[in-house]
Amino acid sequence: MAGLAASFGSGAMTNAICELEQSDTIFIIGSNTATSHPLVATRIFRAIEKGAKLIVADPRKNQIANFAHLYVRHKPGTDVALLNGMMKVILNKGISDDKFIAENTEDFEAFKQVIDKFTLEEASNISGVSEEDIKNLAKVYASADNASIVYCMGITQHTNGVNNVKTLANLSMLTGNIGKPGTGVNPLRGQNNVQGACDMGGLPNVYTGYQSVTLGDANKKFAKAWGVETLPTKIGLTLPEMFSGIENDEVKAIWVMGENPVVSDPDANHVKKALEKLELLIVQDIFLTPTARLADVVLPGVSFAEKDGTFSNTERRVTRVRKAIDPVGESRQDWAIIQDVSNAFGYEMNYESPEEIFDEIADITPSYAGISYERLEGPGLQWPCPSKGHPGTPFLHKDGKFTRGKGLFHAIDYRPPAEKTDNEYPYLMTTGRVYAHYHTGTMTRNSESLDFEIPEGFLELNPADAQELGISDGHKIKMASRRGEIKTKVMITDRVEKGVVFMPFHFEETNVNKLTNPAYDPIARIPEFKVCAVKLEKA
Amino acid sequence: MDYRNTLTTCTYCGCGCNLFLESLDGRLTGTIPCKTGPVNEGKLCIKGWNVHQFVQSGKRLTKPLLRKNRKLEEVSWDEALDFIASRLKHIKAADGPDAVGFFASAKVTNEENYLMQKFARAAIGTNNVDHCARL
Amino acid sequence: MIDTIKQKISGLLSDASVKGVVALKTANGHVTPCVFQKEDDLDMLSLGDMQASGDTRYPLNKVLITIARQYPDDVFGVLVRGCDERGLYTLYRLNQLDPDKVVPIGFCCPEELAKACECKKPYPDDPVAGEKTKEIFQNRMEEIEGMDISKRFSFWMDQFSKCIKCYGCRNICSMCFCRECSLECEDLVSKGSLPVDIPVFHLTRAMHMADRCIDCGLCEEACPSDIPLRVLYKKTSRIMNAEFGFTSGIEKQEKSPLSMLGPAPDN
Ligand code: SF4
Ligand code: SF4
Repeated sequence: MAGLAASFGSGAMTNAICELEQSDTIFIIGSNTATSHPLVATRIFRAIEKGAKLIVADPRKNQIANFAHLYVRHKPGTDVALLNGMMKVILNKGISDDKFIAENTEDFEAFKQVIDKFTLEEASNISGVSEEDIKNLAKVYASADNASIVYCMGITQHTNGVNNVKTLANLSMLTGNIGKPGTGVNPLRGQNNVQGACDMGGLPNVYTGYQSVTLGDANKKFAKAWGVETLPTKIGLTLPEMFSGIENDEVKAIWVMGENPVVSDPDANHVKKALEKLELLIVQDIFLTPTARLADVVLPGVSFAEKDGTFSNTERRVTRVRKAIDPVGESRQDWAIIQDVSNAFGYEMNYESPEEIFDEIADITPSYAGISYERLEGPGLQWPCPSKGHPGTPFLHKDGKFTRGKGLFHAIDYRPPAEKTDNEYPYLMTTGRVYAHYHTGTMTRNSESLDFEIPEGFLELNPADAQELGISDGHKIKMASRRGEIKTKVMITDRVEKGVVFMPFHFEETNVNKLTNPAYDPIARIPEFKVCAVKLEKA
Repeated sequence: MDYRNTLTTCTYCGCGCNLFLESLDGRLTGTIPCKTGPVNEGKLCIKGWNVHQFVQSGKRLTKPLLRKNRKLEEVSWDEALDFIASRLKHIKAADGPDAVGFFASAKVTNEENYLMQKFARAAIGTNNVDHCARL
Repeated sequence: MIDTIKQKISGLLSDASVKGVVALKTANGHVTPCVFQKEDDLDMLSLGDMQASGDTRYPLNKVLITIARQYPDDVFGVLVRGCDERGLYTLYRLNQLDPDKVVPIGFCCPEELAKACECKKPYPDDPVAGEKTKEIFQNRMEEIEGMDISKRFSFWMDQFSKCIKCYGCRNICSMCFCRECSLECEDLVSKGSLPVDIPVFHLTRAMHMADRCIDCGLCEEACPSDIPLRVLYKKTSRIMNAEFGFTSGIEKQEKSPLSMLGPAPDN
């Protein structure tokens, strides 16, 4: 998100999901689309049926890669090298969109210098993809009339995550594939309301609609709307900074709403220790998750089926959530819980319904200003929707008019991932999802059909590695990184190449995040889930 | 007899598929994909089709819990709320507003995320708000 | 047409001959399956035509089964097209619904929809509204049948390999009511990874539907991967017809040839 915002002025998916059907080339990188965003895969399958070309780059050969016109398996963490290689080819062959670059972008020269220095040979050596394939990737992408880029956590969950994203933005601007239907750079949000959590100011530096906490105007506006004298102007701590803050005795209390960091965060043992150290841990959830078990106080909220409200999906579409049944037991509406705490604390809140809260949001958030529950009957609205009559915005940056003014090229050199393999830890492990589960499994593993489908975690291992280790399908294996160790079942498959293993992260019994590396991207603060060195041993 | 289909949005991935939660006499009985949902057009993935199942799980929390003598015990809402309010006041007074942090969530609604950061910023006075979506 | 149907439902509700009528309504800007219990609510009645005829059809028989299991002694009306009526007949045969407890309210599909469905019988036996259109020829199947065998094989394998194992084809189907499903039997289909086992997954379902599928097409409309499932099942049903002279749901008191396989029942 930070990467796209820096390049274009907005961090959201640039185009609508259904527009993928209008693309004539789709480039998927670091997204297991058919598993993680199945209904996006639907549109991609349709585009292929209509004759579009699909190109896929992923260390793991996932389902949708089988439909690719060209699939390349690059080494985990080498995205920038591969992409810069592609751009080298595009510049060499003179198939860039020079008019678009001249009219709508800036800092192209600095970017070009980096690419000029880089060679195709280096790109190939680093990424493990042949020069021929890199050339082909470049040609197919650059020669399309409308080319879309689709990416997910495979791009962002690296110490270089922000650079990876900026590099994708470079690629789209270099070929003018942005600002029209069926093009763009499209991050698929991993979780249902990530977009909404960000839009609503669930970030340390901004209020709703990305209005900065440090700028006088927004700060004053919000102070007035919320009836307080002043609001803090110092940017707050990010999640990893809060964890360090706990260690340094600066942070004493944490309130966790609906999240399960003990399972979802890297280096789980460390997270657990930090939370245990707190003076006050408040957890608001619907299940007694491993995180809730550490709490001083646990507040029972309700599930989406028991509440009214809105979600904002990955294409910035705001849609309604409606209450289907009454809350179970004495559980309470999550908004009411916050209001109750606030009133007990001494800051008065008197909302009668989520709709009243939404109207307040629309009042102080320009991109949501035209949205109301009434207008959300029907298909919903895509923000920005600045006024009551505005139809919403399916794709951003129309005709090269970027949200930030001009699109910004970034000069980005390849940097290797934070963790390398060595003699002791010779395998690269990457993590991801399986089709029947979601996130830390709190919900899906309490669903009988989904639990039946995939009841436990497993490690994907290449047949050649399995032979070397003398292990067969379904057997147990011990896997350790520099931070922890787990035991798990093995699934032998050539979806992963030799030397690389894959493990889904939904299972608390085989919590792969005991192993993952908490090294963060310096800007987006996203940990490096996707690359971690491990050793394997028959258990 | 009270049979209903409630139109809502899937709580799992970021596609945001529209679906009906089917209920009979106040209990969820199934999920039906919405044909006119702009993203999913009458289709769902395996998670969406089963999204009603976890809701009525016997493992749901039904009462507030408070740690007493190192164990979590069921307490009344009033007790839980008073405890939180007094602890937060104490910590804010002793260590300043920035000693408190908030994890917003990709799993709750916009309205709820909004309210949490409003509480953090206006009531506690800190910008220590972040969400787990980086993860 | 909709007014005639409203009148019919209104009549059934006012003389209390049914406890409710399973149908469709427009709410929240969308078409929704529902049960009408009050005449006043009938303003919201929809026949499932949002932009095109029949584009928002839902498995109303499935809704009826859910309700009938809970309220076995009550009589319910249900809105039916030709395919839904074939569904009712099949569900009577399979003991999932009691014909004495169901009042079908039938209407005919317009030619436009019948063509899109390539429907053999786009009308119920005894329609309350609409004109009966004639049987439509099954072009899509002929097209695929026309491919030579290796091409046809790879066509289907390519289609099946798009499957994301959502089970939507089964879940949406009114004829799928088994508590234990063969698609979840690990001796037939392995669990846990994608792509799903092909062609076993899809052919297992096709076999199981051989004497049940009533060609409503809801499975194909629910398939996120646009697999032409309806054509596959049309083919199975054509084989049933050629071998046994049987088409499921065409006659009210039918017997399936498949139910006569194996040892003869005692009675
Ligand atoms: S049904 Fe599947 S694809 Fe749709 S929002 Fe839910 S999890 Fe995502
Ligand atoms: S509906 Fe389509 S994708 Fe889903 S299980 Fe059936 S064939 Fe597979």
